[in-house]
Amino acid sequence: MATDAQPDHDAEVERLFALVRDRYGDRLTPAQLDDVKKGVEGIVMAARALRTVKLRNTDEPFPPFVPHRGRP
Amino acid sequence: MSESPVFLPIRRLAELVRARAVSPIALAETFLDRLEKIGPQYNAVVTVTRERAMAQAKRAEQEIAAGRSRGPLHGIPYGAKDLLATSGGIPTTWGAAPLREQRFDDDATVIRKLEEAGAVLCAKLAMVELAGGMGYRQPHASFTGPGINPWRLDAWSGGSSSGSGSAVSAGLIPFAIGSETWGSILSPAGYCGISGLRPSYGRVSRHGAMALCWTLDKLGPLALTAEDCGLVLEAIAGADPDDPSTSNREWRYDAREVTGRRFAFGVIKGVTVGCEEAVGANFERSLETLRSIGSVEEVELPDLPWEAVTRTILQVEAASAFEDFIAAGTIAQLTAHEDHHSAYARDAILAKDYMKALRLRGVMAREVDRVLSRFDALVGPGRANVSPGLDQEFRSAIRGSAPDLMGAIGNGAGLPAICVPNGFGDRGLPTSLQFMGRVYEENTVLAAARAWQSLTDWHLQHPPGSLATRPS
Repeated sequence: MATDAQPDHDAEVERLFALVRDRYGDRLTPAQLDDVKKGVEGIVMAARALRTVKLRNTDEPFPPFVPHRGRP
Repeated sequence: MSESPVFLPIRRLAELVRARAVSPIALAETFLDRLEKIGPQYNAVVTVTRERAMAQAKRAEQEIAAGRSRGPLHGIPYGAKDLLATSGGIPTTWGAAPLREQRFDDDATVIRKLEEAGAVLCAKLAMVELAGGMGYRQPHASFTGPGINPWRLDAWSGGSSSGSGSAVSAGLIPFAIGSETWGSILSPAGYCGISGLRPSYGRVSRHGAMALCWTLDKLGPLALTAEDCGLVLEAIAGADPDDPSTSNREWRYDAREVTGRRFAFGVIKGVTVGCEEAVGANFERSLETLRSIGSVEEVELPDLPWEAVTRTILQVEAASAFEDFIAAGTIAQLTAHEDHHSAYARDAILAKDYMKALRLRGVMAREVDRVLSRFDALVGPGRANVSPGLDQEFRSAIRGSAPDLMGAIGNGAGLPAICVPNGFGDRGLPTSLQFMGRVYEENTVLAAARAWQSLTDWHLQHPPGSLATRPS
């Protein structure tokens, strides 16, 4: 584990990329797969930035959920 | 009429139409001819809607002759980004080759509202395929060809509202409707040297518009001046039962004189970091001008991953909106080679991280509103650079390869912003300035931009040769 309690960056990229490759690898060229992997690296980088921020328990998703009531 | 209607602002055109100094039919014919003859030079047009335009123009002419006025857009030609549904067999392609025959039975709410205001739909305008939602990174990303900048034919028009930007800039149409999820109005406005207004989220109904990201998509005007943007926004704003995101707050354009009004401007610390040198220099000069009409104060925002928040939300919503399209592999038929596969990576976004982005979005909305409550507007460069070349891969905040703090916050928090020209940079291409305000404060950012345009003449400059009726 990394010191910030997040999985190692490279290992996380490899695991998530493996998921994407398993799903779509048969329709992609090696060059396209390399490009997709770069995309996964960017996603992991963004996710790790989000995870570094501490929020309160009451910080709910925005916009908040609004229940629906039809007519009448 | 001795005055050419090309490059006249809407207010002036409306005066001429109302006084019957110019006929809506003649006006429509002028702009239809320009769209047909010059539009292809910029890859600006998907469909010229001549039949519908002439029917609307004839009706406008009859109504005006009978003394009935529908307001300042009555008889005024316009173009709509080709993600807005139009009835009558007119294709709505979303810029995507696999959808080039797509048609809808009904008009989008915005198209309907503009018809009610008497505006004349002359063209469906070119756009980046699927509004750029599949991760394009160079201009060749539409089946109509790359959007070409009227200021330089080897430069990009910006996107994804590419044709909306180039058509207004080249005088092919007095105003256009574009859409913005992150940058798609401000980018073509900035690169093409015109004015583009991104309204508050929920100000304008998206019913009948292609959905890219339900919580980020906005529709707004691109025009020659800030005032024109205000006139158009008044016609298209308002609640719509068909779009539950729309606000019930009524909105009227405040056209009161801005001369003598003082403004409080904020500048986010480091907002020019990563900008091209000329962009930074023009921004500094702009601040000097703005100091003549108000205060300018540097502000700091909390150090949070603003761009990651908006980017994560955008990528997840776009992946969901086009889930079937992506899963079926239809993206392989798109024009940009990178759009054939880039979206697959988004399966790697974890639900927990997406939820964190949504929770941080609340922090973002509260923090920026707290900062903005002290100001009329935050100002910054409209774009960090001038338009890239047509064959150049560009940097993008959406992909995380370029800074766009104001774009991330403004779109993430649903804030209004207007982009206006403020000079020229590398290769003689326009640079721009943006004013971003509190949510629902479109009139405040419009007033600031109008004050800016009353002090400068960048908005009066047009691409060389653009008054010609045929490509030179």
